[in-house]
Amino acid sequence: MKYSFFPGCTLEAAAEELMISTKKVAKALGIELVELDGWTCCGASHLQDVDDFKAVSINARNLALAEKLNRPLLTVCNTCTLMLRTTKQRLDEDEELKEKVNKVLDEAGLKYTGSVEVTHLLWVLVKDYGLDKLKKKVKKPLKGLKVANFYGCHIVRPPEIMGFENYLNPRSMEMVAEALGAESVDFDRRLSCCGFHAVFPAEKEVLKITGIDCLSAKKAGAHCVVTPCPLCQMQLDMYQPDSQKSFTEDITIPVLHLPQLIGLALGFNFEELGINRHIVDANPVLINIA
Amino acid sequence: MEKVIYRIKRFDGTKEWYQEYEFPYEKGKTILWGLIKIKEEIDPSLCFTSACRSAICGSCGVRVNGNAVLACKTSLDKMLETYKTNKLILEPLNNFKVIRDLVVDWEQKFERMKEVKPWLIPSKNSDKTKGFKQSEKQFNMIANPTDCILCGCCISECGQLSINREGFLEPFIFSKSYRFTVESRDEAPGEHLEPALENGLWKCIRCMQCVTKCPKGVRPAEHINGLRKESMKMGHRDNKGARHAYAFHDDIQKTGRLNEMTLPIKTEGLVSTMGRIPFALRLLKKGKIKPFNMPKPVNGIEQVRTIYRLAQNQKEER
Repeated sequence: MKYSFFPGCTLEAAAEELMISTKKVAKALGIELVELDGWTCCGASHLQDVDDFKAVSINARNLALAEKLNRPLLTVCNTCTLMLRTTKQRLDEDEELKEKVNKVLDEAGLKYTGSVEVTHLLWVLVKDYGLDKLKKKVKKPLKGLKVANFYGCHIVRPPEIMGFENYLNPRSMEMVAEALGAESVDFDRRLSCCGFHAVFPAEKEVLKITGIDCLSAKKAGAHCVVTPCPLCQMQLDMYQPDSQKSFTEDITIPVLHLPQLIGLALGFNFEELGINRHIVDANPVLINIA
Repeated sequence: MEKVIYRIKRFDGTKEWYQEYEFPYEKGKTILWGLIKIKEEIDPSLCFTSACRSAICGSCGVRVNGNAVLACKTSLDKMLETYKTNKLILEPLNNFKVIRDLVVDWEQKFERMKEVKPWLIPSKNSDKTKGFKQSEKQFNMIANPTDCILCGCCISECGQLSINREGFLEPFIFSKSYRFTVESRDEAPGEHLEPALENGLWKCIRCMQCVTKCPKGVRPAEHINGLRKESMKMGHRDNKGARHAYAFHDDIQKTGRLNEMTLPIKTEGLVSTMGRIPFALRLLKKGKIKPFNMPKPVNGIEQVRTIYRLAQNQKEER
């Protein structure tokens, strides 16, 4: 199984542990990831505020680079997935736009044809790799670990662009957790937003959202939150101490990236997966499991 | 499946409670069918609103298992299948004042909508004797927001509105604002846009609940993008949201990738960023920020810059 890999900007900086854990887990599972040479920021849902055509063109370039390699483009960030898939859908459905974009790409020596699919690691595990196969790779089942699966918005919404599973009641995260031997808790904020995209202009409100998300998971009895999106992870983890100031109840809960949870079940230790890089210490709840 | 159960949130003006109604399952029905059945055959005191039964009037918005839907347009079978159950929870739309049971109060919403002046301020380029012609392109600019039927589904799960009812407009109001801001026959776009800018335009958290829940395919989140762009065109660039968006725009041109180190300074200015020192130290301690690690231009950065330059030229032509 071979994929072109689109890491996204956060994996080179604050969420580097997601780069580390994704590569470890992919290798252990036999999924070959080849980083897309020359990829750029997807615009992170902000570029279109300045110039929609630039946002489409810049992602068309990313897709055109991937087309040269003729393999599906795999992401591990919900927002990168959404930005790339939105571009693909718009270009595939609008000949006039595609022509305009290709005119621009042509000057850069590139062409978009629409031949490459954009997918997310979570979907690859469920659909391409298969959960039975994943289950067989588990060395240390996560028995007794209760996880709160925080999907993040952009892996399910809007459904006409994401469309992998039923957006009202997705189950892919629960299915992966089950394959790893963990127990999923049901909680109100399972499909809610982390607020990351407005943390600067709406800091007060977003810190409140962070706390509500954490408390919801905690009150449902989860030992940790798990998310397939680095932006959700960063918001819920890095900003947790700031968010705590608006709450009298203790909101503390560790937040893992999806590949870190998988990595634990595959037998990697905390350091190998970069879990020690998180702001909220995961040791106390995971030590008995790992 | 023989029976279906609706667990309905009731409100009589003073107290709230949940009440369960059981009725025989029938294939191929809607959520509204069940509500009408309960009212006609089990409990005439149950209050809800509905009229056209054709997803046109927008009066039957309710929440089913936490999701705003038009009751007349939503398949009962699909909801039961989605949740693998025979019991659904029905509640009034969220982020509204409730009058009775599933009936919500629109008055305050309409009052707020008036702030963006959702009516045409006629352009001086023509008059009613000559008519106000629009090109196909100009019409297409306003076609999507015009589809709004005022059902309130976009309001219910809006992530920002749910915690900030005063400081953020309802998504459909942003759509109304956009519809008249980009209207070719309008004389005063700023009068439609500025109330939106002052009421949280940059606070949208991009949760995509509005575009997902709208039963008519209206896309408020995209209209918010459009309003932001229009606001910057009008010169409203000295705010955190606009500076943040430009930080991404400029970083992509410079190296192709986001520079997390300079992002807060570009967005908030140096002085405000000083307030983030405890946050930065927390991250530094864990190796999450590397102060001296500046992104290098990606391979093919010339392609990126060419794309920017050509896109910019196109923009000027547009």
